[in-house]
Amino acid sequence: MLLKRSAKGDESAFTELYRRHQAPLYRFALRMTGNSWAAEEIVQDVFMTLVREPKKYDSERGTLGAFLYGVARNRVMKHLERAPRDVSLDERGDAGQEAHVELQEQMTPARWAELRERRDQVHAAVVELPPEFREAIVLCELEEMSYDEAARILDCPVGTIRSRLHRGRALLLAKLEMLREVPKRAKVGR
Amino acid sequence: MTCEEFATAGLDLGEAEEDGLLQRAAREHLRGCPHCAALHENWLALREDLRALGAETAEAETPSRVEMRLRQEFRTRHKTVKRQRVAVIGGWSLAAAAALFCAFTFVNWRIQKGGSGVQRRGTAVESAASQERSSQLSKGITPVGSELGDVLVTSSASGDFTLLPGSMPPAPEDATVVRVQMQRAALGALGLTVNEEHAGDWIQVDLLVGDDGLPQAVRLPQVSTQSTD
Repeated sequence: MLLKRSAKGDESAFTELYRRHQAPLYRFALRMTGNSWAAEEIVQDVFMTLVREPKKYDSERGTLGAFLYGVARNRVMKHLERAPRDVSLDERGDAGQEAHVELQEQMTPARWAELRERRDQVHAAVVELPPEFREAIVLCELEEMSYDEAARILDCPVGTIRSRLHRGRALLLAKLEMLREVPKRAKVGR
Repeated sequence: MTCEEFATAGLDLGEAEEDGLLQRAAREHLRGCPHCAALHENWLALREDLRALGAETAEAETPSRVEMRLRQEFRTRHKTVKRQRVAVIGGWSLAAAAALFCAFTFVNWRIQKGGSGVQRRGTAVESAASQERSSQLSKGITPVGSELGDVLVTSSASGDFTLLPGSMPPAPEDATVVRVQMQRAALGALGLTVNEEHAGDWIQVDLLVGDDGLPQAVRLPQVSTQSTD
């Protein structure tokens, strides 16, 4: 309904549509690319598609949300193809998504720094996963979607999601293990 | 459950809760296998980190400048589309008006042409009728003076006559047609050129005589040629 109104030139309908869908799409793009500028551009591209070619969406093939995720996913893949490994841990700071690990009563600054470092490592490990595993991890672990929802968005069977998740988790564990081993070895070396 | 099976399904313990058998088998395996227990522990820690990472960016939203840019684009696009639509409608309206105007002009022209044709036809009919009348008059021959030979009275009939040089066409009501027989050479006296080889031939001639008694025009009737031996 909103899309129909938007296609007819109703700006408020388009704005409503944008506000309803932009946040999950942005988060997905941000977590997939690890780059806020790229995520911003991707979301903009997705909605530009909706402005320019609203007829591309076929309601019989699924929900508008899934369609937008699909478009976002294509844009993300294109972005990753263009700039495969240009993500650094510092980009999170650039993105304005400053970590807000809440200081609990028992949390000392040292503990906070340790947690921060650990999350940075996790983030780096996620961003370095191959895209197909990364999107499964992003959707199911970070977005906490069900396997069914993820399968609908990625347009693949639930079994594929399961296996991608399994391999993604294994890769993540291995990568994190490696990342944690390096400082330990460095310390021992000294 | 083997280590491999646990690695495949065991990490999903949380999601496999509904599968009691699998869960029980995985837990049993965990109790007996320190490697898998460590793996599982690592996974749980990682999962917590992932959730925390997710929570960190859970509130992340596209910057408002994107919305502004998109709305601007939306406005521009739909204004352009509207303008295009108006231009197309305007173009078609103009074309339709032009076609209507042309059709109206053509119909008007046809009507005017038809009217003038009728008028012309009317005039032609009228003139034909008057000619008919005059010819009927000229055919209605009445002898007026026998001493002049066959005298014909007509109001017109000057159409077939050849004006004699230096004479003016007489008014139809003042003219009289006189049929005479004369030698062809006599036509020379009236100012007409005559073929000398046939100068002696006798011919019948209609003379259009004015009210002054002088011939004004001459006509050679088709039936009346007579030659003298």
